[in-house]
Amino acid sequence: MTHPLVTPAGPPRVWDEQQDREALARTWHDPEGFLGWFYATTHQAIGKRYILTAFLFLLAGGVEALLMRIQLARPENHFLGPDRYNQIFTMHGTTMMFLFAVPVMEGMAVYLVPLMLGTRNVAFPRLNAFGYWMYVMGGIFLYANAATGAMPDAGWFAYTPLSGPQYSFGKGVDAWAQMITFTEISALCVAVEIAVTTFRLRAPGMSLNRIPLYCWSMLIQSFMVIFAMPAVMVASTVMLLNDRTIGTHFVNPAEGGDPILYQHVFWFFGHPEVYIIFLPALGFISAIVEANTKREVFGYPALVLSQVATGFIAFGLWVHHMFATGLPQIGEAYFTAASMMIAVTTGIQIFCWLATLWSGKVRMTAAMHFVFGFLFIFVMGGLTGVMLASIPLDLQSHDTYFVVAHFHYVLIGGALFPLFGAFHHWFPKITGRMIGERLGKLSFWLLFIGFNTTFFPMHILGLNGMTRRIYTYPASLGWASGNMIATVGAMIIALGGVVFIVNAIASLRSSVSAAPNPWNAPSLEWSVESPPPDWGFTYQPVVSSRSPLWADPALRTVVTGMRNDRREIMVTGVAEAEPQFRTVLPAASLWPFLAALGISIGFTGSIFAFSWYYVGAFLGALGMIGWFWPRPPKEIEP
Amino acid sequence: MSPARTLDVSALPPYEISNRAPLWWGQLLMAVIEGSLFCVLIAMYFYYRISVDVWPPPGVKPLGLTLPTVALIPLILSAGGSYAATEGAKRDDRRLMLAGLTANILLAIVFLVLRFIEWRTFNFTWASDIHGSIVWSILFLHTFDVIADLLMTAILIGIVADGRHGPKQRLGVHVDSVLWYFLVLIWLPFYVVVYWGPRLVGSR
Repeated sequence: MTHPLVTPAGPPRVWDEQQDREALARTWHDPEGFLGWFYATTHQAIGKRYILTAFLFLLAGGVEALLMRIQLARPENHFLGPDRYNQIFTMHGTTMMFLFAVPVMEGMAVYLVPLMLGTRNVAFPRLNAFGYWMYVMGGIFLYANAATGAMPDAGWFAYTPLSGPQYSFGKGVDAWAQMITFTEISALCVAVEIAVTTFRLRAPGMSLNRIPLYCWSMLIQSFMVIFAMPAVMVASTVMLLNDRTIGTHFVNPAEGGDPILYQHVFWFFGHPEVYIIFLPALGFISAIVEANTKREVFGYPALVLSQVATGFIAFGLWVHHMFATGLPQIGEAYFTAASMMIAVTTGIQIFCWLATLWSGKVRMTAAMHFVFGFLFIFVMGGLTGVMLASIPLDLQSHDTYFVVAHFHYVLIGGALFPLFGAFHHWFPKITGRMIGERLGKLSFWLLFIGFNTTFFPMHILGLNGMTRRIYTYPASLGWASGNMIATVGAMIIALGGVVFIVNAIASLRSSVSAAPNPWNAPSLEWSVESPPPDWGFTYQPVVSSRSPLWADPALRTVVTGMRNDRREIMVTGVAEAEPQFRTVLPAASLWPFLAALGISIGFTGSIFAFSWYYVGAFLGALGMIGWFWPRPPKEIEP
Repeated sequence: MSPARTLDVSALPPYEISNRAPLWWGQLLMAVIEGSLFCVLIAMYFYYRISVDVWPPPGVKPLGLTLPTVALIPLILSAGGSYAATEGAKRDDRRLMLAGLTANILLAIVFLVLRFIEWRTFNFTWASDIHGSIVWSILFLHTFDVIADLLMTAILIGIVADGRHGPKQRLGVHVDSVLWYFLVLIWLPFYVVVYWGPRLVGSR
């Protein structure tokens, strides 16, 4: 593509790259020191924090899972009591869904999307920092409450009436409900940034049909977050928390409320949530497969369109979580059909990757091991998903370990394995160090074998009638051997986790520094050094194909004429990404942190008295005024 | 290694105050988020409505129509103030910005005062029954957003009055209107649902 503004190949322009880099470093570097840490707004810094924080929560959720497996290893075990067991499975599900899975995907996107699109930061860097702080404070809020005894125990979905004021005493469920608000605010902040960044900040020439597949999946995921997350805030805060704290009647049948409506609103969020976690993982798969087969992914339009379709259909599935609630059968039949339809859009994607692998030259890196693990495990989880979409089968296996097996196959296979693959794939880019391939492959095999050992027997246990959320079972039911095998599998997973962590730490300390593009991958993040500088690109690239780094180097074009003395970025058109105008991003600031802190104080108080919302609103408003108040001259001059 | 081909963008404008600005898009998506939240509330309202025979429940005085209908006038007019302010922002006309923002804020305050007067006529609270819970949730969340936006408008007045209105701040004036238009527009379905709903979808 020739651009009207591109200077034709003539005498090379002369510029001093070293001088430009120094100027950019002065402009884009976040403040140093302990206090400076709270000022950071570069997307690399915030993205890394998201990922690291989420992995810490993965560790916590993993330990909780192990505690459950130890309890269930033998019949009539007394390692955890019934109440403690309820608390532990609630904390496990809550941590994994709200504090690990969504935030880690958001964190990866915050780090990767601007680099893949060829821009210098996300569209709203201070909002990005604010979102991270809300997430951290939400996590601390939940665990601090748990540590002081207020541990939620009504499941990760907190069904009413069990979670309502009549049956759940103490502050545990309140803490659960308000933690949702923290993490959803964080997810919504990232969704808005990623959507606007993808629409408006792409490198010149990166038209819609040249966007990397990972960025497409994040764009679709962002819109799903925007439409789904408000529903869970209504469910957890407006309905559940207000019923518990100020006496509204949303779930109280005596005054016209309805516990089933809570389920509807919750699952209207809860089902898209699964795809919110899973779509970014599909993007990882595309990127890893492309880099390691040395060919463009087969069926780019089919992949994009089936992901868009997945995004739409995901909002029409929620009732399949509620088949056992006695809803009208005509309505349920519709949801069966929609649930089976999702297998079509997912199947198209699987076949596109298979075609890519078939026709490409596969290089078996550790990341590729995780891709194959994904294909195997996820397809199995998808098959049980199609089974569960059928109402008669669902009614029989509802609330059994068959369902537990299904969603762990889908979520671990569909999201965690791709995430671990992505971790190995982008580790060199993010840290500047190569990751140990041998230990990476070992951790894959341990996780893969451990995973199947843990969760495959659960299918059989479920079909044999073992229900979810029971803290123990009598020996006479014949579930002992399956449970023991599952617990042994969980230990193997734990071992795999240890190898994974050891590998990451050892690789960080190794002296093998990473080249800009160790995998010879085609997307723009690999064109800058590892780790990338704070400003991403010294000269923004101009893109003329879907795989810019595989294009003829002689035809490469870069952008010049951007100011280096302020955080300037370029805004491009939505469809064709033609340069439109420049704009200036705000500098590093402490205010997003202070605003998040103020709002968190209000939210924390709100589980005790409604008036704390006003405190939070006041403190948050103060923080935001500080955030927006213009400081001359740089924030005012044109 | 230096690429020979360059795209020189130094001639491009250093900013633009229009609907093409990233901030405008961000504000639009924030409005979509609130819009989805409000749609869930409307769906809930009707879910509760159709599950009972008598609505509002016995003992609840039907909501009056006069005050909320009169209050629509200053609310809709206030959007005109917003529009004037964004035109002022695009032309860098300080007086028009100040006049528009002030008109917006004053008319919105009239709307809020009428709303607070109207609330004193209610004989139910959020804790009375499900009708009270859902109606108060809608009213509270909308009012909360209106006050938040007015605070933002007040800060913008301060910034412009203080002469700190560079392109970035003028863009702020422009996108402030996006949220205000949204809050005015979303109130119309809420008004129909909350005040006309019990009359239109009558008791069976």
